[in-house]
Amino acid sequence: MAKQTFTTGQVLTAAQMTSLQQTAMLGGAASAKTASYTLVAADAGTAISMSNASATTITVNTALFAAGDTVQITNLGAGVCTITAGTATVNTSASLALAQYESGTLDFTSTSAAIFIKGAGAAAASGGLTLLTTMTLSGASTTSASFSSDYKYLKIYFREIYGSANDVLRLRLNADTGNNYYAEFTIPSTPATGRDQGGTSIRFSSIDTSSTLTNKMYGTMELFRPSDTDVVHIYGESIGKNGATNPQMSFFSGIYDNSAVITSLTFFPGSGTFSGGTVYIYGGN
Amino acid sequence: MKKPMVRIYTSNNEFIDREMNAAEFVIYQADQAAEVIRQAEAEAKAQAKAAAENKLAALGLTTNDLRALGL
Repeated sequence: MAKQTFTTGQVLTAAQMTSLQQTAMLGGAASAKTASYTLVAADAGTAISMSNASATTITVNTALFAAGDTVQITNLGAGVCTITAGTATVNTSASLALAQYESGTLDFTSTSAAIFIKGAGAAAASGGLTLLTTMTLSGASTTSASFSSDYKYLKIYFREIYGSANDVLRLRLNADTGNNYYAEFTIPSTPATGRDQGGTSIRFSSIDTSSTLTNKMYGTMELFRPSDTDVVHIYGESIGKNGATNPQMSFFSGIYDNSAVITSLTFFPGSGTFSGGTVYIYGGN
Repeated sequence: MKKPMVRIYTSNNEFIDREMNAAEFVIYQADQAAEVIRQAEAEAKAQAKAAAENKLAALGLTTNDLRALGL
């Protein structure tokens, strides 16, 4: 329930009492937002939820709140929600950015200043993995939803990938087509090696046209420091075919050299289209 | 001409399947051209290797013999 100014003799309704009870018990429904939002005076004492696949902001201005007022903010969306000081001052001992499922409370110390007390959300759990998205590959390319860059590493699992052509699975970060990919791979059984120096994508694994379970591609990939704006290190291993008699194990490592945090991944076959397969992307801290 | 389809995931594991737009199609064509070159280079490399192995065989040698010579 939003903060009220009660007057002498006022009769409280049952609905108001229920809402007050919920607020007192730190519950109650959150005011749902789906786009960047600027707090208003009526938000005092309430909870706000944000849900957007892209980055959003919650802006805090002066002369709307009194000392002691609080506003709880929870981010439900994949896009990072950042608490932004408009005309007010907002201090915190942590980050003002809320990744998906993170939450925090604005605690106003005056009409012009607030402290943001960030709680530990699912994404912030140390050592844990958070499933960011599950994708079924289709078409000439499949691109993930935008996800938070607030992770120390990304772990990606590939399951039962196959395509319309015997070829390879390639990867782009942030849909970047610049010459920013440097990678090497080796297939011990062939043996074969390859290298991309300043390529426009990364070759990850062989894929085959066969829909037989044992001929589909399986693999894992790790992207270290996806929020680093210097380079991102990538390592992966897979087993798949490319028209070969037997499935081939291959190892891959490389870097992405561009000053951008990683917020989306695009997978595409070297030629043809995806016939099926699932990709699981996890964020780790 | 119909362009290839792409899948774009949005939030909550929902996705959109649509035709490539013009910008995506330009990138796609460049990727396809690069893939053709890569495959041609790989094929040429494989053929050169096979030809060299045939020459060795005609001399009664194998790649193990070359390794033994430190080549």
